Amino acid sequence: MKLLNKTIRSYLIYSFTILLVTIPLFYFVVKTVLLHSVDRSLRTQLRDIRSNLNSIRSQDELDAWSKLDKDISLAPSGENFEDSIYTVYRFTHKHHRNENEPYREIAGIITVGGKMYKLVVSSSLVENEDLLGSILMVQTILLILLMAGLLWINQIISKKIWQPFYTALSNIQQYQLNKKSQLSFRQSDTDEFNELNQAIKNLFSRSHEIYIQQREFTENASHEMQTPLAIFQSKLELLMQTIPLTEEQALLINSLETTNHRLIKLNKSLLLLAKIENNQYSSVDDVHITLLTEKLIEQFQPHTERKEMTVTKHYSEDPVVRANNTLIEILIGNLISNAIRYNLEKGKIIIDINKKSFTIKNSGLASPLPPEKIFDRFYKENGSGGDEESIGLGLALVKRICGLYHFDIEYTFKDDLHCFTLFF
Amino acid sequence: MKILIVEDEKELLKSILTYLKTENYICETASDYKTARQKIESYNYDCILLDVSLPGGNGLTLLKELKADKKTDGVIIISAKNSISDRIKGLNLGADDYLTKPFHLSELNARISAVIRRRHFEGHKILVFHELTIDLAAKIILVNNKAVDLTRKEYDLLLYLAYNKNRVISKNAIAEHLSGDEAEIFDNFDFIYTHVKNLKKKLQMAGCGEYIKSIYGMGYKFDV
Repeated sequence: MKLLNKTIRSYLIYSFTILLVTIPLFYFVVKTVLLHSVDRSLRTQLRDIRSNLNSIRSQDELDAWSKLDKDISLAPSGENFEDSIYTVYRFTHKHHRNENEPYREIAGIITVGGKMYKLVVSSSLVENEDLLGSILMVQTILLILLMAGLLWINQIISKKIWQPFYTALSNIQQYQLNKKSQLSFRQSDTDEFNELNQAIKNLFSRSHEIYIQQREFTENASHEMQTPLAIFQSKLELLMQTIPLTEEQALLINSLETTNHRLIKLNKSLLLLAKIENNQYSSVDDVHITLLTEKLIEQFQPHTERKEMTVTKHYSEDPVVRANNTLIEILIGNLISNAIRYNLEKGKIIIDINKKSFTIKNSGLASPLPPEKIFDRFYKENGSGGDEESIGLGLALVKRICGLYHFDIEYTFKDDLHCFTLFF
Repeated sequence: MKILIVEDEKELLKSILTYLKTENYICETASDYKTARQKIESYNYDCILLDVSLPGGNGLTLLKELKADKKTDGVIIISAKNSISDRIKGLNLGADDYLTKPFHLSELNARISAVIRRRHFEGHKILVFHELTIDLAAKIILVNNKAVDLTRKEYDLLLYLAYNKNRVISKNAIAEHLSGDEAEIFDNFDFIYTHVKNLKKKLQMAGCGEYIKSIYGMGYKFDV
């Protein structure tokens, strides 16, 4: 649920409850007040009548008076009782139809010429009801308008107030550690947002700085490592020339050299990764995938021949990608060399190239590799059939290069074949 | 033959000097920009090994000056940078070759020999070892004046061994020499063994002495 909706929802629920409670409450309050005033006027009327009774002298006058005033009814009464007020509903004929209308009545005893009469003064409540209805309607409309207005204003203000937050959010979403981007934060008049923006900016620049430092460190470290490696290598070669040289020494020198060679390779791969991260392969060319693949297969031919592999090729098209030549060569080269390296004796390699993808399948281990791990740096599959010298950076490089050009790489295992598909 | 080695890493410099000792070159050294510049200005060398990053300046500047002075010294750049653009830059400035650290001394030696031969024996580049003759221009070999049919890899291998004659060359160095960057991908040296075996067989059948010797499985030596 969106933040704005969340706050507005609370407001809405509150307003609605208030509306539901206040309207009936208001109705009863107003009704009571109105009834009260009617009662008062009825009492006043009864009192006035009683105080003016001495002006009536005869029975005829009494009848005439009671007939003149429609709100009054008079009847002889045998017993005395207290004044009472009540509401009655009476059918009246009005505008050609019968309506059940409410009346408020006061009943009391008056004495005229020594005789007791029951006097009833009534007052129609229809006008009151109408008045009540109108008031209620106006009130309801007013309340609804008020609340709708409040909600609306609140929403607009909230939107405006939260705008810096949304800008900040989209900035964070767009942020990429490896890209230095000039993020624009809008200056807000809310202190908290300004603080938030400042905090985000600091966080970004600090992460970026650390990232750059780390990147440079890898590159510098790899560079610095090259000289000692070169010295070590040269000394080993000189050691090889020493006379006399026993077999024992030769074996030691040999394993030292192999280890050093591995170090050199590892260092080169690390340097390459660092260079890709540092955008040192920014030059782009049109790279013809099929041509490149052919060239690489030819280069690797001694190795495929040695293992007596069958290489099957299906080229339906020659896709051209805009990318750095060296990197694409490393990309395709690593995929092919892996297919050779982790293959069986007399195994097979199938390469499919079409307009949108490059697929390479190879026989090898009979079980699938963990797809989520194989692209990790320094991941090595135990007993994968490759040589022990694998340094576990080949597919990490592949992944990195794919990332650079937004290619997709996918690993599947089907029919005992390991399959890597590259989507341009 | 006079060679100038410009390299600021003392140990590497020592290694190169030791390795080149058997070649009868007169080697001079410079380990900083100023010394290198003085030596280049004052003398002529057959080959200069030039490190790019030097204390006090850049090796490439020296190369520029050298070419501006119309000097014809052969130059091999030694650099820690292995990017194509650096390589192209170096070669465009007039360097004869470009080698990246870390390198094999045998590779360096082969390159120096190639540069010197290119400059001094123009048109007639021949290496002779008893009954074996390597014709560098025609890229063929003769045993007792009869041509021996070699594959390109076999020829390269023989030439590499011959350039580093009487020294042990590791299988690693041979692998890298023969297959370039590919050797970084594969660590299997079986293919070298196959090449050496075939080469030896062909030479032997042509009546050539057994000069190529395996040294305890560590590498090979062209013993003449």
